[in-house]
Amino acid sequence: MQYAIDVRNLTKTFGDIVAIDGASFTVKEREIFGLIGPNGAGKTTALRILSTLLKPSSGTATIFGNDVVKKPEAIRESISYLPEEAGAYQNLSGYEYLSFMAGFYAEDKESQDEMLKEAELISGLGERLDDRIKGYSKGMKRRLLLARAVMMKPKLLILDEPTSGLDVVHAFHVRQVIKEYADKKGVTVLLSSHNMLEVEYLCHRVSLINEGKIIAEGSPDELTQKFSAENLEQVFMEVAKLG
Amino acid sequence: MGNLWSLVLKEIKELVRDPKILIGVILMPIIIFPVMGSAINISTSSVQRAMITASFAIYNEDEGAPTDALLEHLYRNNTVITIEANGIQDALSKYQETNASTLLWIMEGYSENVSQGLKGELKVYANLKSLSIAEAGSTDAIGGLLNYYAYFLSIANINSLLEQAGAIGEASVVRSPLSVDYQSIIKGNVIDVAPSQIVSVIMSQSVMLPIMVMVMLMFAIQMAATSIAIEKEQKTLETLMTLPVSRLTILSGKLAGSIVVAVAGAIAYMIGFGYYMTSAFSFAPELTTMSTQDLSIGLEPLGTLLLGVNIFVTLVSGLALAISLATFTDNVRSAQSLTGFLTIPIMLPAIILMFSDLSMLPKTVQMVLLVIPYTHSIIASKAAFLGNYVLVLRSIGYITLFTLVVLYIAAKIFSTERIITARFTTFDMKKLLGRRSNRER
Repeated sequence: MQYAIDVRNLTKTFGDIVAIDGASFTVKEREIFGLIGPNGAGKTTALRILSTLLKPSSGTATIFGNDVVKKPEAIRESISYLPEEAGAYQNLSGYEYLSFMAGFYAEDKESQDEMLKEAELISGLGERLDDRIKGYSKGMKRRLLLARAVMMKPKLLILDEPTSGLDVVHAFHVRQVIKEYADKKGVTVLLSSHNMLEVEYLCHRVSLINEGKIIAEGSPDELTQKFSAENLEQVFMEVAKLG
Repeated sequence: MGNLWSLVLKEIKELVRDPKILIGVILMPIIIFPVMGSAINISTSSVQRAMITASFAIYNEDEGAPTDALLEHLYRNNTVITIEANGIQDALSKYQETNASTLLWIMEGYSENVSQGLKGELKVYANLKSLSIAEAGSTDAIGGLLNYYAYFLSIANINSLLEQAGAIGEASVVRSPLSVDYQSIIKGNVIDVAPSQIVSVIMSQSVMLPIMVMVMLMFAIQMAATSIAIEKEQKTLETLMTLPVSRLTILSGKLAGSIVVAVAGAIAYMIGFGYYMTSAFSFAPELTTMSTQDLSIGLEPLGTLLLGVNIFVTLVSGLALAISLATFTDNVRSAQSLTGFLTIPIMLPAIILMFSDLSMLPKTVQMVLLVIPYTHSIIASKAAFLGNYVLVLRSIGYITLFTLVVLYIAAKIFSTERIITARFTTFDMKKLLGRRSNRER
């Protein structure tokens, strides 16, 4: 069976520091998969490797059968990555930014216009899309960036802490969009979060990561039952202690 | 091509819409230089006015026809204050109470000396109150009048001597017996212009060209470094690097966008500088009217083309160098500090070659300068004007080779994870020396 993501014994070091230590996990197509763990656990490094920004020190990672080291161009055709602290070009308007990004994926003007319509709906920013991005609030920026990431309906959506720092209204909107795209449009989603409750709500399956190592994997229900916990937060605390 | 165009367009929009760049790079030169030129013009005009309207005082102790003739010359069309005094000390104290810039003392015996063919003795006192250039100019006014009078006095004396001797000839010829007509030969053509005049025009070109190359490079480097650093500072680089577009296209987009804005900045600078030159030196039109075209050492079409190629490869090399360096920083300020080091190899040849020719320098200095590619940019610019195309081609070849090496390095950096992981700052030399950041964990 071909997985959307297949990671085996992945290790990444920066000098003496081991950011990921022999991690393995798989993600099925159309699945929302969460990498959860505290700050500095290695989540961002893993997502950057899968987004072809970093190369693994050892081990393998493939996306829809394409190796991240051998075929990064093919992977970039099928993914859309939203970094945690991603920004947008301050001096462009929201619409110009979306149009610029859509241009890399659209085959013709028609499909570019379709993507822009989609982005307009997802972002919910309406006429504010004509304003320069430098005037946007953090929540508006995140909505715009999420719209950018999903408007081209990628095969795999990689989201690093998608709701980090957002207020309840914007965070709710972002979660709704992620769920809708995975459930209705067949997009596979890999997201990282340290918000265990959010992951529990969004993800079909999760991997708990701590100090670069995967310490548990399964659906939120499986994990809570296995560790007799009320939620993933308790699971993590229990497993991290055991690990 | 579509992707590259999108990237270039985005790059230009981002840079031009940034108020710091729009004001600092494009608007400031257009505004500042004409303002500076006008300021210089105002002050030079005031010096001229001070010279024209300068008044002087005269204290006369002598009598006689030659003295009267001198006084008549000085009083004609000038504001003269006559000082009545008992002795020079008294005259000096009275003169200092007036607004006159100078005091001319016609000493006793002036007429007698002049009549007997001896030197007429005069003394000029200048009262320097503000020590300004305008004041120095106004004290020169009396000197001009006296030199003019001395010339005609000598002509009159020579005429009278010629008459007495019954000799043939003109007084002006006796005074200046040789007539020398200086001509210059440029590119095999004899032209009716003195070499000293040509040298002054070439000197102004020699100063302008290095300045032009230097300024353009500085703009280009600033643009490129800023453009990379903005991507890092605003956290847009990671997204850009995961788009389905080759890293080489992203690099080319950055280079092309920066070139467009740098060229716009350089044009703004040259327009501003042009205004500066014309307004600052408008009091001396002969300095600005003669051009290299007049001297037939202007650019021919091939020269223009080669000069363009030279400037282009120079710009690209500077940009590639700046981009390579800026990737090691994570914000605009540290990128600009780090690329600030590049001003040394750019300014060094520009300043040295502004005042001297490469062949005049010691061998070791020549060697050092020739290693720096920007020396060749300046040499090629000068050579293009003089039609020495072999030298231009040689310089272009060297800069191109250097550019290719730097572009290769820049492309390598762009194709590796270093573009993401490198977060060195000028303030963190330990990191600069190779310790990798672990912030992405």
